[in-house]
Amino acid sequence: MITAMKSELSKASRSIRGVLWGRRAQKTKMLVLGRSLSDGLLAKLVIYLLLSIVAYLYLQPILYMVSTMFKNMSDLLDPTVKWIPREITWENISKALKGLQYPEALRNTALISVTCSLVQVIICAMTGYALARLALPFKGLFTALIILTFLIPPQVIIIPLYVIFSKLGLLNSLFVFLIPALFGQGLKGALFILIFRQFFKAQPPSLEEAAKLDGASTARLFFGIMLPLARSACLVVFLFSFIWYWNMYYEPSMFLTKGFTPLSIRLDMLEEVLNPSLLGNTRTIVNPITESTKMAAAFFIILPPIIVFMFLQRWFVSGIERTGIVE
Amino acid sequence: MQAKAKGRAARLYLWKGYGMGLLFMLPWIIGFAMFVLIPISWSLFMSFNKVQVAVGGFKYEWVGLRNYRDAFLKDNVFPIELITYIQEMMLMVPIIVIFALLIALMLNQKFPGRFIYRALFFLPVIFATGQVLSELFLQGAGDIPFLEQYNLQPLVEEYVGKQFAETVMAVLGKAILILWYSGVQILIFIAGFQTISPTIYEAVRIDGASPWDSFWKITLPACVPFISLNVLYTIIDLFTFPLNPVLKHIKDNMFKVDTGYGYASALAWIYFGIIFALIALVLWLFSRSLKTRRAHS
Repeated sequence: MITAMKSELSKASRSIRGVLWGRRAQKTKMLVLGRSLSDGLLAKLVIYLLLSIVAYLYLQPILYMVSTMFKNMSDLLDPTVKWIPREITWENISKALKGLQYPEALRNTALISVTCSLVQVIICAMTGYALARLALPFKGLFTALIILTFLIPPQVIIIPLYVIFSKLGLLNSLFVFLIPALFGQGLKGALFILIFRQFFKAQPPSLEEAAKLDGASTARLFFGIMLPLARSACLVVFLFSFIWYWNMYYEPSMFLTKGFTPLSIRLDMLEEVLNPSLLGNTRTIVNPITESTKMAAAFFIILPPIIVFMFLQRWFVSGIERTGIVE
Repeated sequence: MQAKAKGRAARLYLWKGYGMGLLFMLPWIIGFAMFVLIPISWSLFMSFNKVQVAVGGFKYEWVGLRNYRDAFLKDNVFPIELITYIQEMMLMVPIIVIFALLIALMLNQKFPGRFIYRALFFLPVIFATGQVLSELFLQGAGDIPFLEQYNLQPLVEEYVGKQFAETVMAVLGKAILILWYSGVQILIFIAGFQTISPTIYEAVRIDGASPWDSFWKITLPACVPFISLNVLYTIIDLFTFPLNPVLKHIKDNMFKVDTGYGYASALAWIYFGIIFALIALVLWLFSRSLKTRRAHS
C-alpha cells in the first residue's frame, strides 16, 4: 500500500519535474531563438557580429586616415608599422593646413554649404508645396520635368552652363551656386522638391482649411503654418544639401578654379602645392612623400561635417523616419 | 453670348486660382528655363557640330550625326569603357540594393546599442560623395586583402567563364565601394520599414507565421516601391560617380583640340540616352510587377 503510494508520488513528482524542466527548456529556447526573429539571443548575436564586421569596414578608411596622418616618413615606409605609428608627428597636419590654406578654404566651403542649403530648403519647400497643395496648371508636366532634371547627369550640360555663368559674370564666386539654388536648381534640388511634395501631400488638409476660414492668405499660411510644420523635412533636406554641397567636387572643379576655391578643389591641388616640381599626371601615382599630408588634409575636410552630424544625428534619423520621404 | 462671357469669367476665375500656385512655382520655372532648358538644347545642338573655340566664342561647323558615328566607329576607348562600365553596373546595382536591404533589416531590429550602429552606418552618407573618398581609394585604403591573398582569379574564371571573370573581379575589387555607396539606400529602406504597421506583424504571428514567412509575405512585398526607388537612385548615383571611367573620358575629350566640345557633347548624350533607357526599363518592370500583384490580390 505504502510502496504503491510512494511510487505514485514519485511518479507524480517526476512528471511535475518533467513539466518544469520542459518549461525551463522552453524558456531557454525562447531566450536563444526568440519569439520572432528579433528578440532571440542567437539572432542578436548574429546581428551584432554582421553589423560589427560591416561597421569595421566602414570605419577602416577613417582609421587608416587618422593613423597615416600621424606617421612620419620612416613609419610610412616600414611595413611592420601598420596602425600605430612609433612616434606621433604633427608636421603633416601643419603642412596640410598650410597647403590647403585651411581657414580661408573652410570659410569658402562653409559659406557655400550654409547659404545654398538654407536657400534650397525654402525654395524647394515652396515648389514642393505648390505641387502638392496649390491649384496649378500642368502639374503632371511640371513633376515629370522635375524628375527629368534629376536624371540629367551634370556632364551633359556643364559646358553650356559654364558659358552662361561666365556671361552672367558669376564664375569664381559664391553666386555661381547661390543663384541656381535661388531658382530651385541647386545641387540635387529636384530630389528635395520631391521630398517636400511627398511631405506636404501626407499632411491632413484640415489645418489649411481652418486657416483659410480664418482668412489667412496662401503666403501667410505657407510661411506661418506649413513651413514650421515641415520642420523635420526641412532638417533632413538641409543636412543632405549641406553634406552634398560640402563634398561636391565636379561642379567647383569647373566653376571655382581660382580665387574663391572650396576645400575639395584645394585637396586636389595639394600635390602640386607641396611638390611644385612634380607637374603633370601625378594623380594616379601614390606618392609616399605626400601621402601622410594628404590624409591629414582629407581628415580636416571631413571633420566639420562629422561634428555637425554628431550634434544633429538624433533629429536627423527621427526626421527621416517621420518625413515619410519615401512613399 | 452670355454663356461665352460666363465661360470667360470661369476661366478667369480658374487662372486667378492658379495665380498663387504659379507664383510659388515661379522661381523654379525661371531656373528651369535658364539652367536646364537652355543648356540642354545648346548641348544637343553642339553635339551635331564640330565646335572650336575661336576668339569671341565658339565656331560651329554643322556635321550632322558624324560625332555620334565617330563615337562608335573611330573612338577605340569609348565603346569599350561604356560596355565594361555597364556590365559592372548591372552587377553592382543588385548587390548594393540587396546589401542595403539586409543591413536595413538588421538595423531595424530592436537591440541595445542600435543607436551607435545607426550612427556608424550614416558615415557613408556623410562623405561617400566627396573627393576625400576617391583620395582614399587612390591610396589603396579601399582594397580588400583577400583578393590577392587567396588568388581568387582562376577560381572565378572557372565558375563564370573567362568572358565575365574580369567584370566579376572588378566588382569584387570594388566590394568596399559597394559598402560605401549604400548609405542613402539603407536610409531609404529604414524609413520605408516605418511605413509598415507593426500590428500586421502581430496579427500574422498570432496566426502562426514564422519570422521567415512574415519577411517574404509582408516585409518584402511592402518594400517593392522602396526597392524600385533604391534601384533608380543607385543607377543615377553610379552614373554620376566621380571615379567613373566614362565620365573621365568625356571630360578628357572636351579639352582635346581635334575632338572638342561637340564630340564630348555627343558622347555625353549617348551616355545619357543609355541611362534613360535603363531607367525607363526599371520603371516599366516595377510598375508591371506592382500591377500584377494588385491583380492577384
